[in-house]
Amino acid sequence: MVKPQQTLSQQLLRYGLYAILAVAALVYLLPLWVMLLTSLKDVEEIRSGTLLSLPGSINFDAWSKAWSGACTGSTCEGIAPFFANSFKIVIPAVLISTLIGALNGYVLSLWKFRGSELLFGAMLVGCFIPFQVILLPMARMLATLGLANTTTGLVAVHVTYGVAFTTLFFRNFYVGLPKELIAAARLDGAGFFFIFRRVVLPLSTPIIVVCVIWQFTQIWNDFLFGVVFSGSDTQPVTVALNNLVNTSFGGKEYNVDMAAALMAALPTLLVYVLAGKYFVRGLTAGAVKG
Amino acid sequence: MNPKSLSLPETGTVRPVTLRLQDRLAAQLPKLVLAPTVIVTLVAVYGYMIWTGLLSLTSSRILPVWKFIGTDQYSKLLENDRWGVAVENLIIFGGLFILICLVLGVLMAILLDQKIRAEGALRTIYLYPMAISFIVTGTAWKWLLNPGLGLQKTIRDWGFESFTFDWLVNPDMVIYCLVIAAVWQSSGFVMALFLAGLRGVDQEMVKAAQLDGASMPMIYRRIILPCLKPVFFSAFVILSHIAIKSFDLVAALTGGGPGYSSDLPATFMYQHAFTRGQMGLGAASAMLMLGGVLAILVPYLYSELRSKKNG
Amino acid sequence: MASLTIDNVTKAYGQTQVLKGINIAIEKGEFLILVGPSGCGKSTLMNSIAGLEDVSGGRILIGDADITEAAPKDRDIAMVFQSYALYPNMSVRENIAFGLEIRKVPKPEREKEVQRVASLLQIEPLLDRKPGQLSGGQRQRVAMGRALARRPKLYLFDEPLSNLDAKLRVEMRTEIKKLHQRLGTTIVYVTHDQIEAMTLADRIAVMRGGELLQLGTPQEIYDNPENQFVAGFMGSPAMNFVPCTLVASDRGMGVEITDGEGNPSWLPVPNPERLSAYVGKQVILGLRPEMVTDPVPHKADDAMVQHVPMKVLVTEPTGADTMLVSEINGVEINCRINPGYSTPVGQVVPLMFDMSKVVFFDPTTEERIDRA
Repeated sequence: MVKPQQTLSQQLLRYGLYAILAVAALVYLLPLWVMLLTSLKDVEEIRSGTLLSLPGSINFDAWSKAWSGACTGSTCEGIAPFFANSFKIVIPAVLISTLIGALNGYVLSLWKFRGSELLFGAMLVGCFIPFQVILLPMARMLATLGLANTTTGLVAVHVTYGVAFTTLFFRNFYVGLPKELIAAARLDGAGFFFIFRRVVLPLSTPIIVVCVIWQFTQIWNDFLFGVVFSGSDTQPVTVALNNLVNTSFGGKEYNVDMAAALMAALPTLLVYVLAGKYFVRGLTAGAVKG
Repeated sequence: MNPKSLSLPETGTVRPVTLRLQDRLAAQLPKLVLAPTVIVTLVAVYGYMIWTGLLSLTSSRILPVWKFIGTDQYSKLLENDRWGVAVENLIIFGGLFILICLVLGVLMAILLDQKIRAEGALRTIYLYPMAISFIVTGTAWKWLLNPGLGLQKTIRDWGFESFTFDWLVNPDMVIYCLVIAAVWQSSGFVMALFLAGLRGVDQEMVKAAQLDGASMPMIYRRIILPCLKPVFFSAFVILSHIAIKSFDLVAALTGGGPGYSSDLPATFMYQHAFTRGQMGLGAASAMLMLGGVLAILVPYLYSELRSKKNG
Repeated sequence: MASLTIDNVTKAYGQTQVLKGINIAIEKGEFLILVGPSGCGKSTLMNSIAGLEDVSGGRILIGDADITEAAPKDRDIAMVFQSYALYPNMSVRENIAFGLEIRKVPKPEREKEVQRVASLLQIEPLLDRKPGQLSGGQRQRVAMGRALARRPKLYLFDEPLSNLDAKLRVEMRTEIKKLHQRLGTTIVYVTHDQIEAMTLADRIAVMRGGELLQLGTPQEIYDNPENQFVAGFMGSPAMNFVPCTLVASDRGMGVEITDGEGNPSWLPVPNPERLSAYVGKQVILGLRPEMVTDPVPHKADDAMVQHVPMKVLVTEPTGADTMLVSEINGVEINCRINPGYSTPVGQVVPLMFDMSKVVFFDPTTEERIDRA
């Protein structure tokens, strides 16, 4: 096909389009850029300069203080311990909810039984309820089970309400697999788990990646469950960050706040940059199909 | 037909291959695998909903007491000035947040759909806030919107001495700060949804319209956007869902203040149920939130299911 | 190898009966083809034999074993699917050996079996590829290889050729026929392609609406359909159905026809004694396209042959034959004409009706009324 010659007005329109998109990109990047600049300044520079003025010298004092010295409510050990807490919560919760979701999705797509669709619909409600409605009973339940303020308790909560999403992901993915594949394997003599392990799971890599990224982001970024169900030594990093920012001993150290915020954002941002394609796929799959 | 052609073996020689016990168990495996999730869902979603519903009918304060007082908590809630502010805020915040996100999302998706050279990079930039926690977003915008040191000071230092942007500390305007931060975080996501939708539109239909002599704006308005109705619908549902559940953003950006001028139902519920020892009232507010979500969700799910059945 | 007996098998989903008491028995080594329009129950029947769906009533026997209740893995059945259903993550070799592996066949034997099957199907060079790297025809062969490797008692083929292009389909059809003749396997084969049905089957079962309409050899089905549906389903172009009145005249029993211009003609009837009850009544004359041809001299004197001038409405040359569309009794009929015979559109040409194998149906019940 021959490209038609562009007229001048079309070309101007094109430049305008790029200009709008570039300005929009700057607006989206601005907060991140300001956070980074602020975190590298000292308190004096913050007072005298503007948001966008560059720091006189690159200075990581705020970062090290945020990491290991800043006060987060009752303690002044920085956010490092809470960063570790978040990983202690996120890793098991992601793994367990992904595994359960994969098995559930496998049943709900390839081993349907009478009433399974209804059960699936009932589970999906878990994706939609405002969690405020389960906070009080869940707190009682965790206390009864002796899991109040524990990491295990938080993992359990995240798994409980994450499984609805992971099930949805895997179910929608497995529905796309040919049913004959299962039939063939059954006639070959394979059973439920054998087919899952040898036939279905090897095909699931894309959806596992989507699901793990989604769950990782959701659970890492969670604040509500963290603030309600964690104890002072099991808080996830989001709660610690909020405490740090809102702790009002002495002067506000915005550079420390920003450094801590960037640290809290780093893991999910990293995942997003490295595997953005899957992240978007998860968002849209969870949203459009849900 | 043709029963005469059957030459059944003598009944005595027929060797029935029956299901062994393990096969019977194997047949139940799918149900067994699903059972834990079903049970947990029944308890932790439905059971808890009922639990909270019942609690909202009691006079519980710091601890649950099962003394039923009818709908007193609900009447108390509706008379509560703070709840009124929270609901009003939710309507302003939710309405603006959804509207702006939809408009921006559609616009950016259309602009990005013009065979842009750096589309991948731009998309990544527009969407990255979605990967960040609302707590981080709140912290960042709290700093940006801080009148003493943030945007207001920056613009004043650039020479616009009388520039004022103090919404964060202004009880009448603080709710719009929440809108700004939330739109920054979620509009890229709406863009991604619409971009996916645009890519799914049948290009032959667009070509046909071009041959019919329609201009591009006309094609978008009359043909492509109407095709994206389901995307509008899902985006609306997701955004309203985000709005109703918004808790982290308020906690980090405004803490509900100044005073309680930026409270939302989600923060109201948390405050009363967990820090102010008003469990019954908190439960009642949670039930009203549930009602709000259901009011949006049930028609959506209903139409989804109906279209699936018809399709 | 084993025989297969389907004894009064029924299947219902709630109120809907999808199988209404099917009885079929085939011998060891027999090739049975199930045909019928979509939704006729042929796939359900196939899945019931495989054990992928439960039946609501009746029995299924393989050899002398009642497998109605057995799990699919215990039935010793292999199936070839329309979509091939090859395991995408395994190589061709692993695909073929999978069933043997599950049955704990030792590795050397597995390897030997893979080699045997691969050379049988000429797929040795493909053994280390993944299904994604194969063409449609190659996948088809691998799917058959996977079925053959286990040497099961019974093979099920579910429209195995319908995803192939026309040329490959003919090739594979021949291949399957050869394999069947060579290995003497018992096969149940579902298709909607009647040429496949005619060429491959020892017997054909025609189904509709969950019922077995007719079970017979391809020639029986073609020549002696038991009702109008079976008659119309098998054969391409389909049998012509001409409503007409049966009359007894001095020339014997016959039917009256009128061409598009209103000119009446009379055609003889082959077995008048079977139709005596229908004299003077409306019947449906079933006339295959090859029964109306250009006049052939050596048949001219046959008592069942009649020449009728017919108006040519449309001609469709197919190469070997030309299909000619004309009209009698208000319905269009297809006629199979030698391409050498001149049939200008719009003209009236003499055509030869060979009535020796025509069939008759009741217009209301659609049942055959001249059965022997």
